Amino acid sequence: MMRFFLITMSLFLAIPVVADTLDMKPIVESHVLPRYQTLADETTELAMAADTDCSPESPPLIQTYHDAFDAWVGVSHLRFGPSEQDDRAFALAFWPDPRGSTPKSLAALIEDEDPVVRHVQDFAAVSIAARGFYALEFLLFDPQFVVSQKEAYLCALVKAVTRDIALSSAAILNGWRSGYGDLMATPGNDTYRTPTEAAQQVFTALSTGLEFTSQARLGRPLGSFDRPRPNRAEARRSERSLRHVILSLEALRHLATLVSLDDPAVAQAFDTAIKKAEGLDDPVFARLADPQGRFRVEVLQQSIDNIREILAVEVGPKLGIAAGFNSLDGD
Amino acid sequence: MKTFTLATSAIALCIGTAAMADGHATKAAVLNNYADIAEANYTDSLTTAQRMQTTIETLLAQPSAETLEAAKSAWLAARVPYQQTEAFRFGNAIVDDWEGKVNAWPLDEGLIDYVDASYGGATDENEAAALNVIANASFTLSGETVDASNITPALLEETLQEADGVEANVATGYHAIEFLLWGQDLNGHGSGAGKRPWTDYAAGDACTGGNCDRRGAYLKAATDLLISDLEWIVAQWAEGGEARAAVIADEDAGIASILTGMGSLSYGETAGERMRLGVMLNDPEEEHSCFADNTHNDHFYNGVGIQSVYLGSYTGIDGRVVEGPSVSDLVAATDADLDAEMKSKLSAAVFALGRIKTAAEAGFSYDMMLERGNEAGEALIMGGVNGLIDQTRSIERVVAVLGTSIEVEGSDSLDDPEAVFQ
Repeated sequence: MMRFFLITMSLFLAIPVVADTLDMKPIVESHVLPRYQTLADETTELAMAADTDCSPESPPLIQTYHDAFDAWVGVSHLRFGPSEQDDRAFALAFWPDPRGSTPKSLAALIEDEDPVVRHVQDFAAVSIAARGFYALEFLLFDPQFVVSQKEAYLCALVKAVTRDIALSSAAILNGWRSGYGDLMATPGNDTYRTPTEAAQQVFTALSTGLEFTSQARLGRPLGSFDRPRPNRAEARRSERSLRHVILSLEALRHLATLVSLDDPAVAQAFDTAIKKAEGLDDPVFARLADPQGRFRVEVLQQSIDNIREILAVEVGPKLGIAAGFNSLDGD
Repeated sequence: MKTFTLATSAIALCIGTAAMADGHATKAAVLNNYADIAEANYTDSLTTAQRMQTTIETLLAQPSAETLEAAKSAWLAARVPYQQTEAFRFGNAIVDDWEGKVNAWPLDEGLIDYVDASYGGATDENEAAALNVIANASFTLSGETVDASNITPALLEETLQEADGVEANVATGYHAIEFLLWGQDLNGHGSGAGKRPWTDYAAGDACTGGNCDRRGAYLKAATDLLISDLEWIVAQWAEGGEARAAVIADEDAGIASILTGMGSLSYGETAGERMRLGVMLNDPEEEHSCFADNTHNDHFYNGVGIQSVYLGSYTGIDGRVVEGPSVSDLVAATDADLDAEMKSKLSAAVFALGRIKTAAEAGFSYDMMLERGNEAGEALIMGGVNGLIDQTRSIERVVAVLGTSIEVEGSDSLDDPEAVFQ
């Protein structure tokens, strides 16, 4: 079954005679580390705000939720190394959720008043569907949970989820700082045998990030012409759907600048896509049933696919690399 | 900074020269052997499915505990060759486009037949999640009235499969048949598969679950459809078939297809979607064969299929071996160390997947492994996941060494949105 839209793989022979070598150090030091630092800082603020006042009505809690979620989207394309260890990135962000596992898992915890919320270490064992930003969104914004008879338990759950988010974020930052950053910045080790392998990892992350934004963040709510699915829009309960598209494109543009060695075609393609996204004025993709509204989102999707095309056809060969396998391959 | 990477080109040239020199491991020979293995593997899938069809006909003619068990055994045997064919799925568009008809998963089984109250009803994602076609000869789907008084392969294929554009509406294929033979697995994280009684197919007053005749008709239609779908794919790989022609048409693209199939099945599909997700969600329904509790074999035979493709050697259901020039030979001619690395990673992954199978067959079933806090189970499954991820890294190195590269292309509707509006 295809959980995402059709991706046909085509393969071709492309051996560059001369290739540029990518310097990985600036990518690690000016892209990866500062962004994970921001995530660690913002999630700490979030956990502290929840600790002070766990109510969904609490303005500081809602504000820190948005800030921390913004920081996550800014690193959501960096799915390798410390973010994959111990399933940290999955635990921060389980979406899409086609079978509704998040509300189901949360409802089960609340129904049983599961004591697993008492200790944050124990909480790390629960289903990823009940952890991370998307679970927190349900707890803070979905009427099913916000208006609960079990207020005390819900409060403990919100605190457990935010602490767990802060811990995972800190662990990823720590992983990058205490070794993984060096492995990537100075290839010639067992993880990255050559500079090309390190460059390919980053190139794959860039390409996959674009694919995810195009096919999941836009493609899921788009559905088909006859059957648009606005209810599948990402984080629509807190009205963040379009915001995620813009934030992810901005983060990817930053990485692309470093990867593409300031290729003007790439920069221009990003500018075009971001301008289209900013011009949408449909924060949760609610207007997809209207052909005009749908058309504008499809054009945005196309402009994102266009960036990936330029990267594959122009930038990849210059660097002597192509995107490797990614988690969106398959269904 | 500019660096000369003439080495890569030189390597590519070496392959060409060496291949012609030794007269065996030419790319053309490798591709022919690959297509031969695909043909043999799909033929075995068809043969075992036909055996299953015979047992199902017996079950429907003479329902009994024994005839139901015989059909279940035949289903399990049919999965052994089929799961190995999944190595051909990604990378061969003709297979990938067809595959959803026979092996779609996961399914909202309430579309097909009765389910336990704990299943719930229609969902936000799927209005037809509890449609129950077997109990309803007429119903509304996507706003239209459907006459389902006759349950036929056409009804399943054209109306019910992916009904309302929802992928969880799986009406055909192995997993629909699995549900009709086993029923829901209501044991949660406990051991044991689905326990559908044979009387669900009994005649007259002995019938349980209601509508036994329609259930039988559904099972027969789904089985007949599976057979015709498998016959079609076997023909595509036979001499003159379209899948074979596509693979051998362009040597470099053909080699890249082989590697794409290996890598995508290893990483995104089996390690990710099917295995790691289930562990992280602690959800016993995130099992590839959740009704029959056969998930350990699904994963294991995926691993075996990937290994067979690389080694160019397939062991058939009757013990015959189809083998010949392989990707392994091509890599060995260029970089013997990488070939050794690739082989050892493939073996390690099959071994790790074999540990899951070993434990499951001894009674530690896959849904028990998925339970929250079950550390031994998580370690077993993650061992398989890590083995598959690890081998993907080596497959990427093989791609680099053979001078092929992989480009992801969008579908027509994504590449050319204007076409959609014309």
